[in-house]
Amino acid sequence: MQPTQVPLLSKLKSYWELPRDFFSVKEQVMKPMAIPTFQPRLKVLSREQGLAIHTAALEILEKTGFKMEHPGALELLADAGCEVSNGDWVKLPSYLVEESLKSAPSQIALYDQQGNETMPLVNGNHFYGTGSDATFTLDLETGQRRRTVLNDAANFAKLVDGLENISFAMSMANPEDAPIEDIYGYAFAEMVKNTNKPLVFIADSGRDIAKIYEIACLVAGGEEELQKKPFLLNYSEAISPLRFPQNVMERLIFCAEKRIPVCFPSGSNAGGGAPVTLAGAMALGIAENLGGLVVHQLVGKGSPFLFGPNVSVLDMKSTVVSYGCPEWSLTQAALADMRDEIYGLPIWAYAGASDAKVMDAQAGAEAMFSIITAMLSRSNLIHDVGFLEYGSTSSLEMVTLANELVAMSRFFIEGIPVNEETLALEAIERVASGGPGSIFLMDDHTFEHFMQAQFLPKLLDRSRYDSWVEAGAMDLYKRCNIEAKRILSEHQVEPKPDEVLKDIDRILEGR
Amino acid sequence: MSEFKTLSETVIKGDINKAVAETQKAIDAGSDVQAIIDDGLIAAMDEVGESFSKGLIFVPQMLRSAKTMQECMKVLEPLIQEGDVASKGKVLIGTVKGDLHDIGKNLVSMMMEGAGFMVTDLGVDVTPEKFVQKAQEVEPDIVAMSALLSTTMPAMPQTIEALQKAGIRNKVKVMIGGAPVTSKYAQEIKADSYAADAGSAVVEAKKLLGTS
Repeated sequence: MQPTQVPLLSKLKSYWELPRDFFSVKEQVMKPMAIPTFQPRLKVLSREQGLAIHTAALEILEKTGFKMEHPGALELLADAGCEVSNGDWVKLPSYLVEESLKSAPSQIALYDQQGNETMPLVNGNHFYGTGSDATFTLDLETGQRRRTVLNDAANFAKLVDGLENISFAMSMANPEDAPIEDIYGYAFAEMVKNTNKPLVFIADSGRDIAKIYEIACLVAGGEEELQKKPFLLNYSEAISPLRFPQNVMERLIFCAEKRIPVCFPSGSNAGGGAPVTLAGAMALGIAENLGGLVVHQLVGKGSPFLFGPNVSVLDMKSTVVSYGCPEWSLTQAALADMRDEIYGLPIWAYAGASDAKVMDAQAGAEAMFSIITAMLSRSNLIHDVGFLEYGSTSSLEMVTLANELVAMSRFFIEGIPVNEETLALEAIERVASGGPGSIFLMDDHTFEHFMQAQFLPKLLDRSRYDSWVEAGAMDLYKRCNIEAKRILSEHQVEPKPDEVLKDIDRILEGR
Repeated sequence: MSEFKTLSETVIKGDINKAVAETQKAIDAGSDVQAIIDDGLIAAMDEVGESFSKGLIFVPQMLRSAKTMQECMKVLEPLIQEGDVASKGKVLIGTVKGDLHDIGKNLVSMMMEGAGFMVTDLGVDVTPEKFVQKAQEVEPDIVAMSALLSTTMPAMPQTIEALQKAGIRNKVKVMIGGAPVTSKYAQEIKADSYAADAGSAVVEAKKLLGTS
């Protein structure tokens, strides 16, 4: 229906020049506004609770203090107004925290290695990725748990490159065959060679982070280009409770200076490095995070800092730090609420991991629990996807499964669009009052909409029993194994230029 | 054994006040100090250790029992003559050079003490030289090393070499542990034993020294 031409009233000489149907109701009724789709969001903490935890964190920094083992950072803190006692025990006044929260950027843009902005860390944007140094991995061929090697870092990176819902790569390996002084550099190089997605990396000290940085500049085409479009984020952590080692601070300071995005999540695990009650564990972890943030902003005001601690639990029977517990999902959901109420900085989180030793129902249950809650909380950068055995073993099958679990969660949080098309009244009329044989399956409306209207699983199996048996009666682990193998053999990673690859080796070998 | 049943029960329950009172009672009654320790305290801790291995009790409860035993030992200390009390063995423990993580090591220390070993804990960031120096001083049966980072693991073979150079490698058993450490690595660096957690550490220590 063409809209009536409404003439400019100012150009009219008389009322009678208006088109006859100018005042006709049909054309002049405003179209109803589209009903916005509500997208489920999980809230676990009130503003009051968040403020109390934040205040407790400030009190820890001001009254208890922390151990700063980096002399340069110690001096900076003292000059900025901190009280220093016993050589290296620092007490930090709250105003320094407030200032650094203000100067830290409220958004961090991460790019892929080809300069595309693929991970804008801001608001409710959420991105999933793998985890770092796993000592073991599940062998893709034998299913056996074995030590990781460099080739595993390569394979995990390639798999991430080929999975549409996994946005960044971490090493997933503590490679046994890499020279130990440069283990993190070698792991980083494997990632660079096997994916173009953004990378989250770890390092040991100022020495090897400089090497990794050199490689990154090479890939980006220069220091300036890397700063403008960073494709990497460093993961460093203080030691709970309240200890800031020298080599850790070297990395934090390096990142602040070079404006490399960094996160600083100490493992303030309830009952381990932190009190067993979750509020206290959060307060301690946040205090340690804020302590790092203050130094970070003093060194590089405005440098990007991804906020948040890792608050899991120390299991009270096995003394492992749990990667499948509901507590970690709960504390990071609480942190997300605190981000929205207080901090305004993008946050770090975890998901898609398990304490199970094999990829069984426990692995699936625990992975899904953390994946969906992280998304419901809108955590921004969500790592550790694909971990088994409380982070000690990496699994290609788990990463492959998680890709689908993320998609399933995403479908859920996108909500239910309600509009003329989706209410489908015309289709209902057609099918209900149509002749015999009239079914929705045959209707145009279904044909046009089914691919967007439904979640279409690939690995989660819904086939009829007999077809399932005929196809080999395979369980999910087996199906994910086959899919991971397929991706690794078929997926093409856009390769880096030869000169870049040669230079990477040169830097690693120290030539 | 039944002579100290009440004492043992207070240790198992982790009731420090009652345990200390029972210990004092036993002393006042003229009981043999070694018997109090072996049949009252260590027997209790052996039971605690077993319950723990079976997953029947939690770590904080196990540690509370260990602490209870420590408090009882404090009461007995003035009565112990040098060299009188036979311990299960002497353990020298530390987290290796460059590594500051200590939760696991502390758990191992406490469990070893609870099991009747005498533990000297060097803390964290312990250089090979420090291990050697203290080993020469204390003359332990076991030297135990912990590391949480793969980058600090090389300090383990370095420490073993330092023990070798000092001529005392064959006088001690070396046990290693920590998240990235594996039994394969222990074999590679020619350590004597590897333990995956605090409970196993006690079991392994007893094996190494041929005690129970």
